[in-house]
Amino acid sequence: MTGVGFIVLVGIAAVLAAMALARGGGTFGRGMKRAFEQAAQLVPRMVCALIAAGFVAKLMPSTMIARYLGDDAGFSAIVIAAGAGLLLPAGPVIAFAVAAVFARADASIAALVAFITSWSLFAAHRIFMYEIPMLGVSFLRLRAASVAIVPILAGVLAMLAGLFVTLAQPGQG
Amino acid sequence: MTTTTEVESEEDGGAARADTAFRDPAWWMGLLRTGFGRGFWGFLAFAMIAGAACYLVIGEAAFRAALGDDVGLLARMAPRVAAALVTAGLLWVMLPRDRVTRLIGTESGMRGLAVATIAGMVTPGGPTSAFALLAVLAASGADRGALIAYISAWAMLGLQRVLVWDVPFMGAEFSALRVIVCLPLPFIAGLIARRIPLKLEIAGSGGNGVR
Repeated sequence: MTGVGFIVLVGIAAVLAAMALARGGGTFGRGMKRAFEQAAQLVPRMVCALIAAGFVAKLMPSTMIARYLGDDAGFSAIVIAAGAGLLLPAGPVIAFAVAAVFARADASIAALVAFITSWSLFAAHRIFMYEIPMLGVSFLRLRAASVAIVPILAGVLAMLAGLFVTLAQPGQG
Repeated sequence: MTTTTEVESEEDGGAARADTAFRDPAWWMGLLRTGFGRGFWGFLAFAMIAGAACYLVIGEAAFRAALGDDVGLLARMAPRVAAALVTAGLLWVMLPRDRVTRLIGTESGMRGLAVATIAGMVTPGGPTSAFALLAVLAASGADRGALIAYISAWAMLGLQRVLVWDVPFMGAEFSALRVIVCLPLPFIAGLIARRIPLKLEIAGSGGNGVR
C-alpha cells in the first residue's frame, strides 16, 4: 500500500516544485507558505480525529450487524448496510476487514455494495480530518444532501444486476 | 480563521511577502492559533471521550491496541500528508484558475460533471491529496455539482483504491460489479448538488476562511 500511490504523489510534487522554481518570482516560496498554512489547519485536528476513529472502530459491533445483512433481508439489508458504512470511522484497512466479516456471515452482494459505497462516501474520520478543516461545514452539508441517496441506489442497482448475473460470495478465498 | 486568509488578497506582492513570512514571528504565531483553535479542542475532547468509552466498554487491551495502531498509522501517513500538502500548495499558486473555471465552472454543464468524475477516478493518493485538490478547485470557482461529482467519484471509484483494496479483499468480480453499478452515481450526485438550495460558502482562500 505504501508503494505506487506515494511514489506517484512524490513524483508530482517534485515536478511541480521544479516548475515553480523554474518560473521564479517567489512562486515556490508562495507555494510552500500555503502548504504550511494548510498543515497548521489540518495536522493537529487530523491527529485527534485519527485517534478517535481508532477507538470508535473498536466499539463497532460488526459481527452483530452481520446477522441482519443476509439475502432474505432484501431491501432492509441494503439500508442497514448503508447505515453501518455511515458509522464506520476508519480507513480502508478496517473497512474492508469489516466487509470481509459481513461477507463471511453471508451478507448479500447488494448489502456489501451498499456498505462499501456508504463507507467510501461518508467515512466519518475523513469528514472530520479533511472535509471540515479544509472545506468547511457548508460544503459538508451540501455534499451530504447530494449523496445521501447514493449508497441505497448503489445497493438497489446491485440487487437488480443480481437478477442477471450470479457472483460467488466474496471474501471466502 | 483570520490570520492565514489574507495571503490570497495579494496576487503580485506575494513574492516579497512569501520570502519574509518564514522569518516573521507573527506569521508563525498565526499558524499556531489556527492549528490549536476551537476546532482542535473539540476534536481532542471527542478523541478522549471515544478513548474512555473504549476503555470502559471493551477493556484496557483493546484501548492499548487501538492506540498502538493509531501511532503506527500516523507514522505511515506523515510523509504522504507532507507530500500532498506541498503538491496542493504549489498547485494553488500555479494552477491557471480561468482555465479550471472554463472546464468545470458553473457554465460547464454535463461535460463539467464528466470531467470532474474522471478526474476523481484517476486522482492518485489518499484523502490528503484528493481533499487538498478539492479545496484548490473550490476556491478556483469550480461549479458545486462538479465539486461533488469529483469527490464522490474519488471516494467511490478511485482506481487506486479499487485496485489496492477492493480487488484483494472482495475479489475482482465483486469489485467490477460495484464499479459498474457506481459509475453513474457521481453524475447523479452532481446533478442533485446543482439543484439543492443550500448555501455553499467557500472563502477565496480555499477553506481557510470557511465558516
